[in-house]
Amino acid sequence: MEELKEKLEELMEVENLDLNAKFSDYEEWDSLTSLSVLALLDSDYGMSMSHKDVLAFDSIGGFCEYVNSHKTK
Amino acid sequence: MDFIFKNKRISGILTILPKKAVKFEDEMANYSFSPAKCMKLKLAMGYNEHRIAEPGQCSSDFCKFGLQYLFDNNMLKKDEIDALLFVSQSPDYYMPPTSNIIHGHFGLKQDCLCLDINQGCAGFEVGLIEACLLLEQPAVNKVVLMNADVLSPKVSDQDRNSKPLVGDAAAITIIEKCDIENVIHANIKMDGSGALVLNIPAGGFRMPCTPETAIMEQDALGNFRSKNNLVMQGDDVFNFVQREVPPMIEHLFEQSGVGRDEVDWYMFHQPNKFMLSKLADKLGIPHEKMPANIVENFGNASGVTVPTCISYNLGDQLVKGSMMLCLAGFGVGLTWSSIMMKIGNLMFNQIIEF
Repeated sequence: MEELKEKLEELMEVENLDLNAKFSDYEEWDSLTSLSVLALLDSDYGMSMSHKDVLAFDSIGGFCEYVNSHKTK
Repeated sequence: MDFIFKNKRISGILTILPKKAVKFEDEMANYSFSPAKCMKLKLAMGYNEHRIAEPGQCSSDFCKFGLQYLFDNNMLKKDEIDALLFVSQSPDYYMPPTSNIIHGHFGLKQDCLCLDINQGCAGFEVGLIEACLLLEQPAVNKVVLMNADVLSPKVSDQDRNSKPLVGDAAAITIIEKCDIENVIHANIKMDGSGALVLNIPAGGFRMPCTPETAIMEQDALGNFRSKNNLVMQGDDVFNFVQREVPPMIEHLFEQSGVGRDEVDWYMFHQPNKFMLSKLADKLGIPHEKMPANIVENFGNASGVTVPTCISYNLGDQLVKGSMMLCLAGFGVGLTWSSIMMKIGNLMFNQIIEF
């Protein structure tokens, strides 16, 4: 969980990502960041999602929990 | 689906590029992205400069220019051409086939099969497979494969998803019979359930162009395009490529008995630097063996990127010697295909400008 949070902070160039916030609450969030998250899911977690899937999470924390319980590597 | 071919070779590759080069920086203001974000996009995707056809220049014009160059320089004789393949998504007309237009332009012989193939990013591989299938026939000794696309007019200027990467280009590849065995291993797969992931919605019979289809609309990511424009679901394409291409290449290693270290160059379709780098990582291939410099120099001209990559990066090396190449294309259709073959001792392998 902490590891994924750190990776997201690195991708979004944000410190102390608020797990209760949504991705779209951050002005750093854009289509390029979203694509980088999809690439991260693919390479490090063996998962595949669309831009829409990522944006549909109510919170970044919820996203992280989902990834941790569904990852295939 | 796997294919195996023997006694066939590529004998020449000519890439034809538009003279006009457009810089990413000069188009940035059209995108709903801050300059800082645009520069991040440029860096990640490898955008820099792309070649764009002048208004009125069709993909067939690039093919005609290239063929004339080959005839003028005695690199190809008209009466040797037994089949003329035109692989493109930008034909001159609905009817007749553009290959017939080109056939007529040069007054080629009647014993010649003209064939248009509607294919995109895997168009070079599809064309090579088709050429090899034709060469199995006693009457066919030499096939001219034309890969050509001028799709830039179909891409919205305000689409940062597709505009910075699109390029226009053509390539002419000669495939012929040969005495040496030269085994070629190829495979191809299709998934029509993703057919509209890369699409130009209007302009065909299903949805003819009308004033309504020309209305510009904003998408969820802030890009503006009309139904007359090319639209790409970038995330779906990315996921498709990362899911399907690595197993396809692993299968090609097995199928051909050529190990990953025995391949001299991985000449893959060039969607953008980001995607190619992720693919190389996933396949465990050194990045320097998989050139990713076509989008930054010329743009992505769908099925033309693989021959462009070969002409630009290997040039005379393939005239003087030969190398084991792993070719791969993936995209529109959805279609994905790869070929393991030795290419070399070519008569020509170069780029010209039109």
